[in-house]
Amino acid sequence: MRLSWARAFPLRLWGGCRGPKMRRVTGIEWAARPMCHSSSDAPEPPSDHGSQNTPRDEEQGGPAAFAAALEELERAPGRRLGRLELVAAALAAMPALGVARQLDAYNRLLRLLPRGPWVPRGPLHRLFAPFPRQQECGLQVLEQMERYGVMPDAETRFLLLAVFGPRSRPVRKCQRMLYWLPRMLHANPYPLPAQLPPPGLAAACLGLRRIANDPDARLSVYQQPQPEQGDNEGSTQPYIVGIQSAEQQELLARHGPEHPVFVEGPFPRPPPPRLFYYVLRGDPLPPHLREPPPDPERSLYYPLYLDLDLERGPWDDDEFDVNEVEEGPVFALCMAGTGDQRTLAKWIAGLQQTNPVLGQTPVIFRLGDGDSSAGSPGDGDALHLEGSRAAELEPPEVAWGRRAQGEG
Amino acid sequence: SRGTAEEVFPFPEISNEELQEINQFVGPVEKFFAEEVDSKKIDQDAKIPPETLKGLGDLGLFGMQIPEEYGGLGLSNTMYARLGEIISLDGSIAVTLAAHQAIGLKGILITGTDEQKAKYLPKLASGEHIAAFCLTEPGSGSDAASIQTRATLSEDGKHFLLNGSKVWISNGGLASVFTVFARTEIVEKDGQVKDKITAFIVERDFGGVTHGKPEDKLGIRGSNTCEVHFENTKVPVENVLGEVGGGFKVAMNILNSGRFSMGSASAGMIKKLIEMTAEHACTRKQFNKKLSEFGLIQEKFCFMAVKAYVMESMAYLTAGMMDRPGLPDCSVEAAMVKVFSSEGAWACVSEALQILGGLGYMKDYPYERYLRDSRILLIFEGTNEILRMYIALTGMQHAGKILTDKIKEIKKGNIGLAVQELVNKVRDSTGRKVDYGIMEERGGLVHPSLQESGKKLEENVYYFGTTVRGLLTRFGKTIVDEQLALKRVSDIVINLYAMTAAISRASRSISIGLRNHDHDVLLTNIFCTEAYFKNNYALAQLQKYADENLDDYIKKAAKQILEKRAYICSHPLDRTF
Repeated sequence: MRLSWARAFPLRLWGGCRGPKMRRVTGIEWAARPMCHSSSDAPEPPSDHGSQNTPRDEEQGGPAAFAAALEELERAPGRRLGRLELVAAALAAMPALGVARQLDAYNRLLRLLPRGPWVPRGPLHRLFAPFPRQQECGLQVLEQMERYGVMPDAETRFLLLAVFGPRSRPVRKCQRMLYWLPRMLHANPYPLPAQLPPPGLAAACLGLRRIANDPDARLSVYQQPQPEQGDNEGSTQPYIVGIQSAEQQELLARHGPEHPVFVEGPFPRPPPPRLFYYVLRGDPLPPHLREPPPDPERSLYYPLYLDLDLERGPWDDDEFDVNEVEEGPVFALCMAGTGDQRTLAKWIAGLQQTNPVLGQTPVIFRLGDGDSSAGSPGDGDALHLEGSRAAELEPPEVAWGRRAQGEG
Repeated sequence: SRGTAEEVFPFPEISNEELQEINQFVGPVEKFFAEEVDSKKIDQDAKIPPETLKGLGDLGLFGMQIPEEYGGLGLSNTMYARLGEIISLDGSIAVTLAAHQAIGLKGILITGTDEQKAKYLPKLASGEHIAAFCLTEPGSGSDAASIQTRATLSEDGKHFLLNGSKVWISNGGLASVFTVFARTEIVEKDGQVKDKITAFIVERDFGGVTHGKPEDKLGIRGSNTCEVHFENTKVPVENVLGEVGGGFKVAMNILNSGRFSMGSASAGMIKKLIEMTAEHACTRKQFNKKLSEFGLIQEKFCFMAVKAYVMESMAYLTAGMMDRPGLPDCSVEAAMVKVFSSEGAWACVSEALQILGGLGYMKDYPYERYLRDSRILLIFEGTNEILRMYIALTGMQHAGKILTDKIKEIKKGNIGLAVQELVNKVRDSTGRKVDYGIMEERGGLVHPSLQESGKKLEENVYYFGTTVRGLLTRFGKTIVDEQLALKRVSDIVINLYAMTAAISRASRSISIGLRNHDHDVLLTNIFCTEAYFKNNYALAQLQKYADENLDDYIKKAAKQILEKRAYICSHPLDRTF
């Protein structure tokens, strides 16, 4: 398909320098095109879009329309002008028609381009950056593939080689995509499932599991939503879902009833679906109230605790990080349909069944820390609070002794 | 195939269509094994229920490598290895199927005439008839060429009369088609009469075929293993496999071609074990800490993962090499896969049981069954000791051919060569930089992340080459008797092949960008470092007058013990006065 020198020289060496003569075709017109006349050479601006045809088109479904359009174009080859605009219009139309993630569509689109005329004729030709607009067109196709995460396959690469020649920009980009795209697609160690559940209880469960990230954690639904599906705007009974693991239960039990726990929220969880979660946490205990040194009689076989006066040297301490801020323990997570105090109080009541210590622990609600649309920043809860006492930070020996006796 | 770089890098791949095809097979087979195979019951009753056998036949698992025109699945070696991963979840079924197809009917597949194939393969593929491989006799286990079963030609020349008994035949009680090896008299071209081994296809219907009761075994109890006796069995002349007197070659081909699937089977089993054990380690708490937080337990998991990774890499590399067009001889590679996988599987199952502690020892949990089933892996299909000798000696034969001339020249006293050798030795001892081109800057065969491992491999290969030269110079062809030195040689070779396979697979994994490719690279680097040090130690032991070489002491101690056939030291409590 390579032209002879004489014919190629004025037009072909640097690609069509003349501007586009046709106006750009929009997406819907493009889809409706096959319904109009097909055999003419130049893509005339579809004056009568065939508005009577467009509704029929939409009913058939986007991918089918796209495939039909491509077939029409494949059947009528020989258009030497307007190919780049065609490809650009097709790319613009693809997301609307729902074929943006299908590799086959891109391959068929690339097949419409001519193979041979756009291949540079040698190193000297290559020196002058030949066919810039054509190569940009190829690059646009590949960029759209990249944006939608579609991997080029051997056929794509073959087509690009045939159209643009080796060592052209689209072929180089294809090579780079073949190296980097799989890496990027696999980079997320916690990928979202392909089908996201609709916003509501199912989405909240998925979100909670992803935040907690613990296969042992137990998810409990404390209240089913009324109505069952749909958004919870103005519903009488929003859903309440909580998650807690066994370790957190133990931590809460050990936290003790003298120290209050805080319900904080809502914290937004940005990636789709957009959810807000609430946290039940406590302040970090002062050092004397943390775990006592291990009992020397804990292990029958080997000593768990060496009675030496040596500490870990600072140059051997791999776990020390200057930037690390000590945070208190998180006892449970929750997502609820609405973020007001009553709903969250119901959550605490539900938690109390598995953590009886919550019955005596003061629970302070610090809502409204996150974004808007939260409940009033309540400072106390009629159900649980016995006066807003702060944690006792000084070490009264009595308290320690009582606690030690309590633990036995 | 002697490991040219093109065969090994890049790691052999299968096309996307083949991958889809094999994944379609994998689904139903996994489902069958998860739901309808009760391994515990099979182990207790020492029998595979007929419904299970029928189910396996319906899935087509009895004819995986039989071509489709005879009713089988016609799978390539790679796909066979992939299915082997799932089948190995139950040891008895795996051994039954392997005895049926990997050895039982392989003879017909490889050396059978078209009539023989058309007559026997369709029924064997569907599972209606089961095949067995009869070579072992009471007096000849590893020593297969000393069998005593006789096949004499009848007077009319149309039948052979088979007389003898075979022992430890898998599927012996179930099978209707046997591949039997017997001695026949052959008249050679120069008129000499010799006794050579011939392979026959014997059907149970020929009469005179009886089998004893199934043996009570330690593991793979569901597989039927029994004695098979042949009394004047009439075998038509058309049933000779290959040619009369060519049985030795047939046996070698059969045995060498079935071994590589043990790699993927063991890897599949270990992967399943890692899952089960990790579940336990992450939930059980001792001393207020989860088991998974203790370093010793973490080391065991890493060990299991590394072994599984290397086993898989070796098995699929060998399968890929065998699948290439042409008929490559991958028997040495298959033997290496078998030795590494069997020992690795035994060690890993042992560690997994150890992680579970007391629970692993109970019959309620499957670990002790896996342990018993995996012990046989070191014994059947060629004991590991025999295979080590095979690997080492085949290598020596090959190397010897190349090096014989040079060594002879040196021994004759060629001054020029001697000086060259001296210079080489001096350069070696002052630290030569080895570069085989694997780790070039651009166009190297291996991804730069694996640079360290690649360098270690190259270094080991080079020093192994010089050590082999040294051994041949010292021993010549009497190296056949030096089993302790050959054992070290084969260990090094197995490690080298394992390192190559792991590096190749990790390089492909990181170049393509598979999921968790960084974990691949991590496991490969761990394995290569360990193997590098083991290889260096073995190489040091192989030098002459090496301090690390304890061979002479070992032989002396063994001689003293075997003389008295007992442990000869005095009791620690004995007194002299």
